[in-house]
Amino acid sequence: MAVIEVDDLTRSYRAASGIWRRSSKVIEAVKGISFEVERGELFGLLGPNGAGKTTTIKMLITLLLPTGGHARVLGQDVVKDAREVRRRVGYVFGGDRGLYERLSGLDNLKYFAELYGVPRRDQGPRIGELLELVKLDGRERERVEGYSRGMRQRLHIARGLLHKPEVLFLDEPSIGIDPVGARELRQTVASLVEGGTTVLLTTHYMFEADELCDRIAVIAGGEIVARGTPAELKRGVSGGSVLEVEVFGSAEDSMATVRSLPGVTSVVVEDRGQAQVLVVRVDTGAEVTQAVLATLGGVPVGRVATREPTLEDAYVELVETGVPA
Amino acid sequence: MTSVRVFFIGGWTSYRALFGWLSPWILIPTFIIEPVFQILFFAYVGRDAGVGDDSFFLVGNAIQFASIPCLFAMGNTIGGERYAQTLGLLLVSPARRVPLFLGRALPVIVNGLLCSLIALGLGAAILRVSIPLDSLPLLALVVAVSSFACTGLGLVAAALALRVRETAVLSNLVMGVLLIFCGVNVALSALPGWMAAVGRVLPLTHGIEAARALVSGAAWSNVRGLVVDEAVIGLGYLVIGLAMLKWFEVESRRSASLDRA
Ligand SMILES: Nc1ncnc2c1ncn2[C@@H]1O[C@H](COP(=O)(O)OP(=O)(O)OP(=O)(O)O)[C@@H](O)[C@H]1O
Ligand SMILES: [Mg+2]
Repeated sequence: MAVIEVDDLTRSYRAASGIWRRSSKVIEAVKGISFEVERGELFGLLGPNGAGKTTTIKMLITLLLPTGGHARVLGQDVVKDAREVRRRVGYVFGGDRGLYERLSGLDNLKYFAELYGVPRRDQGPRIGELLELVKLDGRERERVEGYSRGMRQRLHIARGLLHKPEVLFLDEPSIGIDPVGARELRQTVASLVEGGTTVLLTTHYMFEADELCDRIAVIAGGEIVARGTPAELKRGVSGGSVLEVEVFGSAEDSMATVRSLPGVTSVVVEDRGQAQVLVVRVDTGAEVTQAVLATLGGVPVGRVATREPTLEDAYVELVETGVPA
Repeated sequence: MTSVRVFFIGGWTSYRALFGWLSPWILIPTFIIEPVFQILFFAYVGRDAGVGDDSFFLVGNAIQFASIPCLFAMGNTIGGERYAQTLGLLLVSPARRVPLFLGRALPVIVNGLLCSLIALGLGAAILRVSIPLDSLPLLALVVAVSSFACTGLGLVAAALALRVRETAVLSNLVMGVLLIFCGVNVALSALPGWMAAVGRVLPLTHGIEAARALVSGAAWSNVRGLVVDEAVIGLGYLVIGLAMLKWFEVESRRSASLDRA
């Protein structure tokens, strides 16, 4: 049985501007998306800023009403059975707001434990184990106003897990967390999923999505433009391989020529330090390295490498071409 | 059970979390020194103008001072959620809303009560107003009921603040209204008719009248009606406040108003 069922879900906002003469225009943030997440699955929602990811999550956790379509979480309608949904889902968003600054980390957790009806005798052990999990043990009695950004984010994660939710919504949970912490967070999420929790995750870190997600939907402009396993997405987009040429000078001039070479599907230029890197996606079997180098003329060239496409390559191509699946 | 804990423990926690005056440097001047200044100011103006006696001004101003915690603390404990961006988290929690929000009123009422009683005691000592000892328990009850009623109005203001974002501006305005309309320094009978009429549906008015009667030796049977009126008015505001919060919650899910003014 699907734990999250999203059917033609739509949400528009009325965005106001001006103080006296309020003019408003309607923004369609989510335009009729549908997907399902199975029990125990880790589902990734990827997409550029403003794509509608947070809006989708807000509808699923009952914070926003859909303006069209339906959604059910654990078989409960997010509009009609909101309270039942709230009891059984957890929500963690990225960022350093949303905490009671004047209270200690411990009191923040205790407060939400009360709101979620965690029985009193379970609170102590549960909070203790979560503090340990997010590595805040020892600092829990300090006021949150003195916490670093990553510490706040860790506290958010602990808060979202207090009532052992069956479904967990993670909206950019790794923002601001250091590399070791982020790795630990990925392990935590993976072990929650192993324990049967269903997770819906958004992130802008493609390796994170690649490592964690069973399935992914890429959303752009409020519509789903691709979906599949990370492997399917990588294969599906351009197939073939990726040629990277490090160029010390302007690589932009030769982009058009490279793009017209037979076997080349797309070209982007990325800045990396002092160099620019020409990222050329190439069809399976096509050999373009020499031809690409030839178009560069006298511009000094550094490292040249061919690699397998990553999820990031697939993502960039999907979002830039934006063809709905 | 859960709701009872949300009411008491949750209420106290959010009071600590969001009412930022819990530092002695702010607490003592605001809750102790300022009310005494106000009492003395009006008492001496009264003496000079030859109107009222000291006990009239003492009781009126001491009780009116409960409105500082009742309005500002109540505004902060709810309006502050919005500032801290925790409101969304509260609203996705399954906690029952009535104990969730009403629980915040309890510490505020106690705060208001203490504030008024201290002002009353200090003012009486400085102005040498004698308060009959045996009236003290009833006097405390009247002050508690007034504080409750004023907190009801505070809840309405706090709910409004969720819409308009700024709580202090509104609280200051309401404070001014209470000072003028509730017979704090000018008896209702001396106010224009419409102002007196407004005063009679505001909190504090009946409480102040009852407290004045008690201080001048009246028995419980003489003030019971006033105290009941004060309590009913408070209850009315509380219900309106809760209804507004409920409406606001529904509205915020519909129009995404949580994120903007
Ligand atoms: N309360 C609001 N009022 C008006 N417009 C809104 C509101 N919230 C979001 N939007 C708009 O809806 C669109 C989708 O926003 P959303 O927050 O869902 O994007 P997102 O995919 O989460 O982006 P990001 O990756 O930046 O977090 C954006 O155009 C945004 O400006
Ligand atoms: Mg977002």
